[in-house]
Amino acid sequence: MTAPPVGTESQLVIAPMLVVLIAAVGSLLLGHRPRARAAVSLAGGAAYAVAVAAIDWYVVLAPDAPGIATYQVGDWAAPFGITLVADGLSAFMLTMVAILGVCSLVFSTRHLPGGEGRSYYFPLFHFLALGVTGAFLTGDLFNLFVWFEVMLMASYVFVAYSGGPQHTRAAFWYVALNLLASAVFLLGVGGIYATTGTLNMADLAQRLADPAAYGLEPVPVVGLLGLLLSVFAIKAGLVPFQFWIPTAYRAAPPQITALLAGATKKVGIYAIIRLSFTVFAGAEVAVDLPLPVIDAAIAGDSPLPFVGAALFVMGTASILLGGIGAVGRDSMEGVFAYSSIGQVGFIAIPVAIAATTASPELRRFAIIAALVFALNHTLAKGLLFLAVGTVRAATGTSRLNDLGGLASRSPPLAIAVFIASLALVGIPPLSGFFGKFLVFDAAARAGNGPAIVLLLAGSLLTIAYATRLWNRSFWGARTPAVEAATVDPVQVAVLVVLATAIVGVGVGFEPVYEFAQTAAEAALDSEGYVDAVDPQAADDLLGSSGGEH
Amino acid sequence: MTTVIMRTTARAVVPIILVVAISLFFEGHNLPGGGFIGGVLTVTAFAIIYMAFGLDFLERGVLGRDVDPGKEHSRDRVVVAYRRLFAYGFAIAVASGLGPLLFGEPFLAQSFVMLEGVPIYDHLEVASALAFDFGVYCVVVGGLLTILSVVGAE
Repeated sequence: MTAPPVGTESQLVIAPMLVVLIAAVGSLLLGHRPRARAAVSLAGGAAYAVAVAAIDWYVVLAPDAPGIATYQVGDWAAPFGITLVADGLSAFMLTMVAILGVCSLVFSTRHLPGGEGRSYYFPLFHFLALGVTGAFLTGDLFNLFVWFEVMLMASYVFVAYSGGPQHTRAAFWYVALNLLASAVFLLGVGGIYATTGTLNMADLAQRLADPAAYGLEPVPVVGLLGLLLSVFAIKAGLVPFQFWIPTAYRAAPPQITALLAGATKKVGIYAIIRLSFTVFAGAEVAVDLPLPVIDAAIAGDSPLPFVGAALFVMGTASILLGGIGAVGRDSMEGVFAYSSIGQVGFIAIPVAIAATTASPELRRFAIIAALVFALNHTLAKGLLFLAVGTVRAATGTSRLNDLGGLASRSPPLAIAVFIASLALVGIPPLSGFFGKFLVFDAAARAGNGPAIVLLLAGSLLTIAYATRLWNRSFWGARTPAVEAATVDPVQVAVLVVLATAIVGVGVGFEPVYEFAQTAAEAALDSEGYVDAVDPQAADDLLGSSGGEH
Repeated sequence: MTTVIMRTTARAVVPIILVVAISLFFEGHNLPGGGFIGGVLTVTAFAIIYMAFGLDFLERGVLGRDVDPGKEHSRDRVVVAYRRLFAYGFAIAVASGLGPLLFGEPFLAQSFVMLEGVPIYDHLEVASALAFDFGVYCVVVGGLLTILSVVGAE
């Protein structure tokens, strides 16, 4: 068996994962030397950013870039071995995570909560990043399950990290829920293997597009996809699977919560987009839903309308519940946790539009809208959760009743939070404006009146809770806690960097839009994905004796 | 639990478990077994020792060190060693995956050599997968023993 030529692009695909693995090992071996540990972790974070940037440029964005690159781990050919695939969509997601991950890592070197567990903080941080990276890069459904587990194992520890009774309680529910979700995931994966005989995503897409040639009966796939979607919705925190979010987000250290909201949630979104559009879109299954949920276009010959209808319902409920819930919270992280639920709804609605529309043009546009909104959410919500960490480290509290007058205590902190809040609301020229504008535009192009009303209501709720939080904690008279606060300059610097990124994405939006467009095209280009992975090669190898391979 | 029957049984059973664990570990790359299963079985041998002779037995009886009774068990030197075993095992597993990159092969690619004419065995397979398996073995033994001894002390 000869491997396909291992070119530079191909080597790059695995680079981010190797970098994170090495950083995890290094920080684990240096567990007893805090400075060296932090230095290795920072170096790992920097190398990760470089690796992701290299993928962005050499695989996706450069003029002569191939657009997609694959890597066969352990030299086992697809569809039997594990395939890693970096395409536009993966690269876009990795870039978001790399920006936020490096910020959170720098932030973590300044303020490490916890006592004895401290020496395991950085290894776990890297494992969390490894799980997220693996989930974005893998081209194998079972391997996706494995990366979900890697991500979860690390996040279990982080939710219980502070060790108090309420943290343990939150961690218990988090573990229980996610074990259930993992079981459902495994059930779905097993069902898909039983139905189609493969778990390689490219092979799966190929077989589902032409079930007769492989002797498959693809109908059960719709229900199994539903099972998988429910698991991804738990990760993304869509209603009705949102209930774990507020307690888990409050229990984890804020810089980790920033990653949970900015990175692991996006894994759920990514998995929904990747599986629905790249893998299952071509499946020839007649779907005829009796519910007139959106409009008459609910029937079709692929599982997508089914996905769209489900996402539309979940997205609607998320926007309303998240927005209304955020208005009434009494702590900063409570407001932001509910706000995250609502914002994921804003991402789900354009994905639902993309899934239900028949026009390829609108489908592409709606996915761009979802991706740009996701990018804005990662930057803005990441910044806000890091700001919670800064405020908590400085004042010892993040309860709105105990805060006030932060704006005069630390103007840079206030400006950064102000920019992120405006980005959430969607004020030009910030990244949030374009995110929201594109989502509205997609809804308008789809002619979906109810969706526009819903998005407007959600935006009004965003203004309400953002204003309330700002008034209660940053304006007004200084409380004793704020008066005694000393704000860490490095942490504030990290916030300012993120705020600059939010402004930068908004001002220089053209390249970001092009990147998102490449990502959306990659998500929809099922054939390109199959060609790049080429799962047929191994079949030929088995079928023909003494062939050219 | 520390009856004479328990201790006598432990003396007989622990060596057998360890031998089976090691044989499972060595044939893992092409037969049922491997680093994970071998590691778990090794840990059960340690668990029996802990149950039969108490948590301090390894530190005091085997290694001949003094144990400060007031000290937290998780600070014991043997527990520190377990943690280190975990870290080193992880490093070995990752390094064994990175090794093939030096030869221009993909991450985690494996190879093997057949040695012929070896005394007693006649022919013996040396597989590079064994290095990865050894790392997994160390991670499992180190991790599970840390959990066992720390949680067991509480």
